Amino acid sequence: MTSIEAIGSRSRISATAAVRAYLVVCGIVLLLMMLLGLTMRLAQAQWIDVEPNLFYVIMTMHGAGMVGIAGLGGAAVMWHFVRRYIPVSTGIFIANLVFFLIGAVLILGAGFIGGFAGAWTFLYPLPDHSGGLWSANGAAAYMAGLLVIGVGFLLLHLDIARGIISVYGGLGSGLGVKQAFGFAPEKDGPPPAVAASTMAAISNIIGIVVGAVVLVLSLVNLYVPSFTFNTLVAKNLIYYFGHTFINVTIYMAVIAVYEILPVYTHRAWKTNRAFYLAWVLSTLMVLTVYPHHLLMDFAMPTWILVAGQIISWLSGLPVLLVTAFGTLTNVYRSGLKWDAAAGLVFIGVAGWAIGVIPAIADGTIPVNSVMHNTQWVPGHFHTYLLLGMMAMMLGFMTYLAGPKSPSRLAPLGVWLYLIGGTIFVLAFLAAGSASVPRRYAVHLPAWLPYDRAGSIGASLVVAGALILIVRFLVSLRSPIDATP
Amino acid sequence: MTRGFAPLLGLVLCVGVGALAWATEGFRVITSEGARQVSIARHPIPIPNVRLIDQDGHTFSFGDYHGRTIFVDFIYTRCPKLCGELGDDFRQALSRSDAKNGHVAFLSISFDRADDREALQLYADRYAARAPRWRVAMPYDARGLSMLLQTFGVTVIPDGMGGFVHDGTIYAVDESGRVARILDPGARIAAVPP
Amino acid sequence: MTRGLVLVVWGILWLVRTPLESDMALHMTVQLPLLIGIGYMLATFLRPHEPRWFARADWFGIPGLLLVVFATSFWMLPRMLDLALSDPWIDLIKFASLPLLAGLPLGLSWSRMPGLGRAFLWANFIPKLAAIGGLYLAAPTRLCAYYRLDQQTTAGAALIAVAVALGLSWSAVLFIGSPPFWSKGGENAVERMRGAASGGP
Ligand code: HEM
Repeated sequence: MTSIEAIGSRSRISATAAVRAYLVVCGIVLLLMMLLGLTMRLAQAQWIDVEPNLFYVIMTMHGAGMVGIAGLGGAAVMWHFVRRYIPVSTGIFIANLVFFLIGAVLILGAGFIGGFAGAWTFLYPLPDHSGGLWSANGAAAYMAGLLVIGVGFLLLHLDIARGIISVYGGLGSGLGVKQAFGFAPEKDGPPPAVAASTMAAISNIIGIVVGAVVLVLSLVNLYVPSFTFNTLVAKNLIYYFGHTFINVTIYMAVIAVYEILPVYTHRAWKTNRAFYLAWVLSTLMVLTVYPHHLLMDFAMPTWILVAGQIISWLSGLPVLLVTAFGTLTNVYRSGLKWDAAAGLVFIGVAGWAIGVIPAIADGTIPVNSVMHNTQWVPGHFHTYLLLGMMAMMLGFMTYLAGPKSPSRLAPLGVWLYLIGGTIFVLAFLAAGSASVPRRYAVHLPAWLPYDRAGSIGASLVVAGALILIVRFLVSLRSPIDATP
Repeated sequence: MTRGFAPLLGLVLCVGVGALAWATEGFRVITSEGARQVSIARHPIPIPNVRLIDQDGHTFSFGDYHGRTIFVDFIYTRCPKLCGELGDDFRQALSRSDAKNGHVAFLSISFDRADDREALQLYADRYAARAPRWRVAMPYDARGLSMLLQTFGVTVIPDGMGGFVHDGTIYAVDESGRVARILDPGARIAAVPP
Repeated sequence: MTRGLVLVVWGILWLVRTPLESDMALHMTVQLPLLIGIGYMLATFLRPHEPRWFARADWFGIPGLLLVVFATSFWMLPRMLDLALSDPWIDLIKFASLPLLAGLPLGLSWSRMPGLGRAFLWANFIPKLAAIGGLYLAAPTRLCAYYRLDQQTTAGAALIAVAVALGLSWSAVLFIGSPPFWSKGGENAVERMRGAASGGP
């Protein structure tokens, strides 16, 4: 081994160790947050007793925790693969995890000690109007936690952007803009992992700095209540940040599809002009999609609403279409041998595609004014987050665990996850079309059947995820393979 | 980390946080109004014995109120908007603090040298202000006016259209004739009777 | 020669301070940045004479840039804007401290900050500037006792305009980057990856 190779393999070992550390945190937090979710479902089903005050604490923690680890898991997938094409800093990657853990401690403290229950979206000025349920310090700890986590992600995305620029010259080339518009041959385009990472960097850098502004303003408002600001502007900024952040998690996780499926099918992922064009369009739209959260706000100017509606129909679609189509062509007649990892990644694409349909329905103004505060909404985002994004992340975990680790149980885990998840989200969607409101701790007797079906589905999901995650944790006993 | 980094960082942090803490009265205020509010609450300021003339043409001074709390606002009688709000507020507050509450008085001071006794009278009539419970008054001379504006910390700047920009703040003067409290900007007293 | 020019500009700014300060937007978007710019120019002359201990203790430029953050936040507080207007002595302190405690350390420490740190600072500075502008634009009451509400609104709009201009030019640089966007780069991306990777650890 030459010394250069030795350095290379050492840095590969530390990088893989860092990715493992990410996934350990993700796996454990995911299980805990799923148990919180199950607790809520059981409480709504009236199978267990949970104080309404505690319900809202749990709901806040579940939302914040899930969104946080979706980001963290997406980052792990993205970083692991994009590292093959651009120089990135392992130090910054680890720093992000450290920031995340500090932030998570602050947020958990805010919820379970400080009693903060203002929902993960901390809509201004709610944090300052707790009606005595939580203290200013509780709300402040929550927002400071988000801020710390934001710092970590901002550094990570900036570092990746720097790596992309150092290789491709600019973010535009990293996204494949030249290929998209036919100025350069398709074969010279960036690999899919780079295009996706570029989009994630652009969207999240802007989203996070916008979020940081509202967080700082809200924090000042907590301690100097006479200092106020425009609530509609605050709402816009918060949703801009929240929506972008959660959207980007799937664009990071989808890299697992681009990189893992070809390993199974022995076919490279085809990047053609349509592929690049799709990423360019989706980048533009993610940046402008947020107004659809405000469809109910008649105070918003009409043209923003109309633009928001059109864009929200279309935003994720380009990337989704090229990915779904690419997945099918990649898999079709490839003679691939299905296993847990390939299955999960495939489920991820399907879950994402199906999860977008209710979103499109929800994006229509007449439907939105009726449905937006029903369980239709958790139905939609649980479909693409639980069955889409998280399935891709679990697929990545299973892939990393490798075929050597005990895998007889893995297919069972996948089936439990798929079947349970389907029942769980269908229960939400059905309840939503029966106008069951979201964010209610106590449900009417007429709503209980939905809640009970949902609880059963959720229990299966938890069992499936438990199998997959434990299998991953067990696989960690084997040393890291230093060969590329 | 290099030698000298930690001390330098510490120094910058201490000086920086110290300076910001000083400028914001311990991270409580960001405006000069806020700063005055805090400092007055801590050290009430005695009011110089300026002579004023009220809507009925009587002269008086702050000393005459000894033992009573006075709510003071600063107005000008041509004021199109803000002073109307202030006037309504005083009228409502007055109707709530009944005769028993005789130890509370109201005082609207005009800072516009163009105002005369007649203008004061018209303004008082508009809000049914009766001396001595509610005096609408102006200082006898320009020197008295600038002394009052300075003591209360009122900034008045021309609005460029012949009127004035002022902030419509309400002040409370305590029994021993000192400016003791500045209400929040925009705060009104009718909601909270003394 | 240029050294003298900087001092002359400093002096002229002091002489025209009344007109510049009479308007909030001019005060915040012209006078304050020019004062910082004077300090930044001073740094280019003074760098050879920079004390060794400072160059060493200023690890990655962190203490220096922290000082810049403190000094600029301090003079942007509405209360300090007011005080600078009402008391010439305070204004004098502002005229000395913005160049010396904000511009000068900015010039000295900026080049010591690694690229990632600079990007982080830009990414935070631009939206905060816009946010302050937004607050001024939307605040129903006056924040400064010496400026009218309409001046405050204009100042807010001006700050937002500056932030938008900075943000757009920064993103354009990142997006288009070098080599020139329209060249058919990309063929040698792999080699560049190797070059960049072997440069790092
Ligand atoms: C076993 C899996 C899960 C269960 C049982 C579960 C259950 C729930 C329940 C019962 C709610 C409240 C619904 C209502 O408003 O009535 C909820 C809300 C939510 N869940 Fe989940 N969930 C699960 C997985 C996930 C995943 C994987 C994510 C994201 C990656 C997620 C993100 C959220 C968010 C963001 C909310 C909204 C909280 C709010 O309204 O403030 N959940 N979940």
